[in-house]
Amino acid sequence: MRLPPVGEKLLEFIAPFLENIAPYMPGEIFPYFFTLTLLQRALIAAIMVTMVSGFLGCFLLTRNLALIGDGLAHVSFGGIAVGLVLGGIGPLWYALFFSIIAAVFIHELQSREILTGDASIAIFSTGMLALGLVVLRLEITFELPLIGIIELSPVGITNTVEGYLYGNLYLLSPDDLDLIVFISIISFVLLYIMRHGLLATTIDPLAAKIQGVPVRLIGLLFSILTAAVVVSMVKIIGALLVTALLVTPAATGQLVGRSFRESVIYTQFFGLSSVLLGIYLSAELDTGGGSMIALVTACMFAVIVLGQALIKLLIKPDENLN
Amino acid sequence: MQSVTEGANLSECQCPLIVNNLSVKRSGDLILKDINLSITQGEFVGIVGPNGSGKTTFILTILGLLKPATGDVKIYDQEPCSKQLHGRIAWVSQAAANLPNNVRITVRELVRLGTMKGFSLLLRNSKNAEQVNEAIKLVGLQEYADTRISKLSGGQRQRAVIARAIASKAEFIVLDEPLVGIDRKSRNSLLKFLDELTHQTGTTILMVSHDIAAVRRSTHRMIYLDETIQFDGNTERFPDLDIIAELRDIQPVHEEIHTTVSSDCQVCAEDE
Repeated sequence: MRLPPVGEKLLEFIAPFLENIAPYMPGEIFPYFFTLTLLQRALIAAIMVTMVSGFLGCFLLTRNLALIGDGLAHVSFGGIAVGLVLGGIGPLWYALFFSIIAAVFIHELQSREILTGDASIAIFSTGMLALGLVVLRLEITFELPLIGIIELSPVGITNTVEGYLYGNLYLLSPDDLDLIVFISIISFVLLYIMRHGLLATTIDPLAAKIQGVPVRLIGLLFSILTAAVVVSMVKIIGALLVTALLVTPAATGQLVGRSFRESVIYTQFFGLSSVLLGIYLSAELDTGGGSMIALVTACMFAVIVLGQALIKLLIKPDENLN
Repeated sequence: MQSVTEGANLSECQCPLIVNNLSVKRSGDLILKDINLSITQGEFVGIVGPNGSGKTTFILTILGLLKPATGDVKIYDQEPCSKQLHGRIAWVSQAAANLPNNVRITVRELVRLGTMKGFSLLLRNSKNAEQVNEAIKLVGLQEYADTRISKLSGGQRQRAVIARAIASKAEFIVLDEPLVGIDRKSRNSLLKFLDELTHQTGTTILMVSHDIAAVRRSTHRMIYLDETIQFDGNTERFPDLDIIAELRDIQPVHEEIHTTVSSDCQVCAEDE
């Protein structure tokens, strides 16, 4: 399946700017992220994903859904495994399909109070992950009417799978970039349009419904967007580490922001600085990109928490910490 | 708040609420039966009744969130939850006043949510800023406009949530147990404020509470609900609490109510 080449167009547009600022970048390897097409692609994808996941994360935190990202990342991984074995279209499309189905079911189970809390997340994430893991080891040939003979032979794809588990920032194809940029732009615009509605439905769904806010539609759309954003993040930061970009910058932003609006702005600041610092460190120290970004977001959170506690202790020792 | 008054005048000919022969079933059990009621614009009505008497069921039904078994409900001559009512009726729930700490929004951000109406106002409207400021001023939270809700006291939170309803320019505000979890002083000033709101702006207020004594001191009209309407009339004519206790045939509750009333009246006298 092919998307309009939004990613490549964006790359063409931004590349000259990146090349201009490359000489001012520190380190030996890091400047190549601004000059080599392959690495420029990685940088743009990482920045896009960070911006949209931070924005989404602010709403996830207010909705007490911090772990849905993790759950959907498991589902995506299951979908990717199935996609790699079945082939045809890119594995991220399988991940997108499975994640959206899971997100909609999780939302319906929660909103209809059939399963409360995160039980539905747990069931879907493990179920889909298990499906992926089983398919990865299954060697079987069968015939389907209309489609024909299907042969599952997962030999030799273990290394590819690992790329999705821990993220493989440096091996983004133009198609991957198109999908990531496409999802990021659509999600960011929709979240921006829905932001007041999302807050209203989070705070008091009943009052929002009486005001005429389409509570159900917003909930459903939010779930689908979350699934799509998680899938777009998998190749960059890895299925295991999705929550690091989805939740940690937003949580750090909440510590500093005095209002919801300020929290969103700070989230962007913490998210983007974590990504740039993470890529810089991973390039210079030759470590995995996704894991280094995740580590930096966590460190940034820790520094802010400890810093705030220290300031209160030194400057306002009589005040309570909360 | 001039425009709210104008809105109220426009709808003078329509009753905010008319209920005819209403019965409501939940999980097969008849919770409410034979409810007949009409409320006129500008009234401050208190609905009281013991726990499990159907107060919440009644409110959810008039808001269109529960379907009646028999009878019908009309709000400004419209079916509950119909499009024409968006923005004319507002609901102040307990949930909003008990916002968890992880929702880091300020008073202004909360009140602004009141200005949304349906799909169209999912987009921000800058003209609403004045409306929001007015509502915050009216509830006396100007100083706290940019303070996070989680840092406010119970009474202040309740005021913030009411400001959200006011910002929606609703002519009919329904409050569910607004007096729970706030101290006596805040409670008295909140009730005084609601009374003033009906007088100043012509807003109709329907308040559900289990605190008979407090409702009795502030509302114009009282309804005692226990499966059906046991009393509906002027607050001054509300029966003595002894009679209510007899009606319910539960002696210990009677004593409890009586003690609360006498202590409340004392405090009230002191306040005045």
